Amino acid sequence: MGLLSIIRKIKRKEKEMRILMVGLDNSGKTTIVMKINGEDTSVISPTLGFNIKTMAYQKYTLNIWDVGGQRTIRSYWRNYFEQTDGLVWVVDSSDLRRLDDCKYELDNLLKEERLSGASLLIFANKQDIQGSLSPDEIAKVLYLDAMDKSRHWKIVGCSAFTGEGLLEGFDWMVQDIASRIYMLD
Amino acid sequence: MEDNEQPSHDSAATAAAALEQKHAAMLERLANRHQSRATAKPDSNSSGSTQSFLSQFSQSKLSIDDQISRIRTQPNPPQKAELEAISLGISALEKLVAEHSYLLPPYEVRNSLTAITHLRQTLDDASAAVAPKKKFSFKNKSSKKSAAPASDQKSEVVSEVESNKTNPRLGKLGLMDSSAAPGFRNKDKEELEMEFNRGEVDARNGEFTLSNLRDCEVRLKGCLRALFVDNVVKCKVYVGAVMGSVLIEGAEGCVFVLASHQIRIHNAKKCSFYLRVRSRPIIEDSNGVRFAPYCLSYRGIEEDLAEANLDEETGNWANVDDFRWLRALQSPNWSLLPEHDRVGMLNTDKKNEK
Ligand SMILES: Nc1nc2c(ncn2[C@@H]2O[C@H](COP(=O)(O)OP(=O)(O)OP(=O)(O)O)[C@@H](O)[C@H]2O)c(=O)[nH]1
Ligand SMILES: [Mg+2]
Repeated sequence: MGLLSIIRKIKRKEKEMRILMVGLDNSGKTTIVMKINGEDTSVISPTLGFNIKTMAYQKYTLNIWDVGGQRTIRSYWRNYFEQTDGLVWVVDSSDLRRLDDCKYELDNLLKEERLSGASLLIFANKQDIQGSLSPDEIAKVLYLDAMDKSRHWKIVGCSAFTGEGLLEGFDWMVQDIASRIYMLD
Repeated sequence: MEDNEQPSHDSAATAAAALEQKHAAMLERLANRHQSRATAKPDSNSSGSTQSFLSQFSQSKLSIDDQISRIRTQPNPPQKAELEAISLGISALEKLVAEHSYLLPPYEVRNSLTAITHLRQTLDDASAAVAPKKKFSFKNKSSKKSAAPASDQKSEVVSEVESNKTNPRLGKLGLMDSSAAPGFRNKDKEELEMEFNRGEVDARNGEFTLSNLRDCEVRLKGCLRALFVDNVVKCKVYVGAVMGSVLIEGAEGCVFVLASHQIRIHNAKKCSFYLRVRSRPIIEDSNGVRFAPYCLSYRGIEEDLAEANLDEETGNWANVDDFRWLRALQSPNWSLLPEHDRVGMLNTDKKNEK
């Protein structure tokens, strides 16, 4: 209760954005966050709960919530929905076998009322792996075109391994959020 | 928590190791305490207590954060009493975690402990910054290199916990045919070997799949980026160096010998894993799985392991996390393979190795 209203107040003052990173386990969420933050990505364990990274990005402060994607803990995702400005859905583009799982979980997430105003960035990660699907193919499998018309979304191919695509994705998202939130203030 | 005080000149690494030991010892003590309780609480109760713990924890943490940032920004250097008060607050928070950790899910325990480590560090930093000549030293000093894995740093607990629900699975989308990707599929009683060759850069940038195998022996040599394994029964799987992650979904009665950066094991029954892994292995929905150190050799394996940054033994093969086990107590689903039950060094150069 009190906590959230405090967060909200501070957020407006300091141009904070709250970003929620979700996706199946092994998709590369933690690696993406560490890479973007310029940290060592050579030893990363599967995420047991969640991590929060606060980083300056352009003139904004991003509060990035990186939540573990193992099946057992997916039901906890909803604890982090409140106040989310940007939703990053990370896909392992080389894991063809679990794309149906991936679609199922994403669809569930998009039904969520509390996330309805959030900008949606889909990272088609692991583009460096040979045989991974392209962003276009991922978009098709996930039926992204069928998404609610009011949703702001974009899919970007990336590799947390090389860093390619990460800034393009975050740039879009931060601009999109900024134009929705701060222009109105 | 109050024993083993660190001398302040300790190097970061020693301090981190000591801190880790201390945490491990604490968890063990708590686990023992739990065991000695005659009546275990049913799971349904623990989620309520978890919730109240989390809200209590996050409130105290927030107030400590607040105090620290105040001493950072105030014009006058902080008084010793001020610093002590904050330090006491952190200790109280630690106690709160300790008291609850016998019924908290292990990741909440770890997150909370990491958050505490972080608070201490922040307080240390803040007091060092305002008073360069340190007159005051804290108990349980932590170090920059926290004992927790890097990915767990800066964790915070601001969540509510709800009971777990498994999601009903959707049928296949049928859009993508995953069987086109490189791999061994639908084999029975075969010996399968694949070499991801040194020099062929393309091959080592690829992933590989083992799917629907029964009574097979699989030997993968060289480096590869990622390995997916699903539905394998009574197989022996010997793998060189995986530069990324291994994902196993569905295995029964198998022996795996694997070196990789990460490994996730889902739905495994009665399997042995001989691992070299840079991060903590995790299991989910598994039982009867046993772990031992990596024991593979073939011509050129040293180069492969070095190439993939896997030449060092981290000891992580024994640090297994079970997502299905909600207590700080050792999970009944996995164990260390006793030394006398382990296979010796396996050489996959010769055929029909036993
Ligand atoms: N080749 C390649 N590997 C990647 C890439 N991104 C992540 N990985 C690897 O994929 C594995 C999983 O990465 P994580 O960042 O732990 O994945 P996660 O989504 O945080 O997983 P959970 O915490 O379990 O939800 C690691 O072994 C990474 O090294 C990428 O772009 N290319
Ligand atoms: Mg993670």
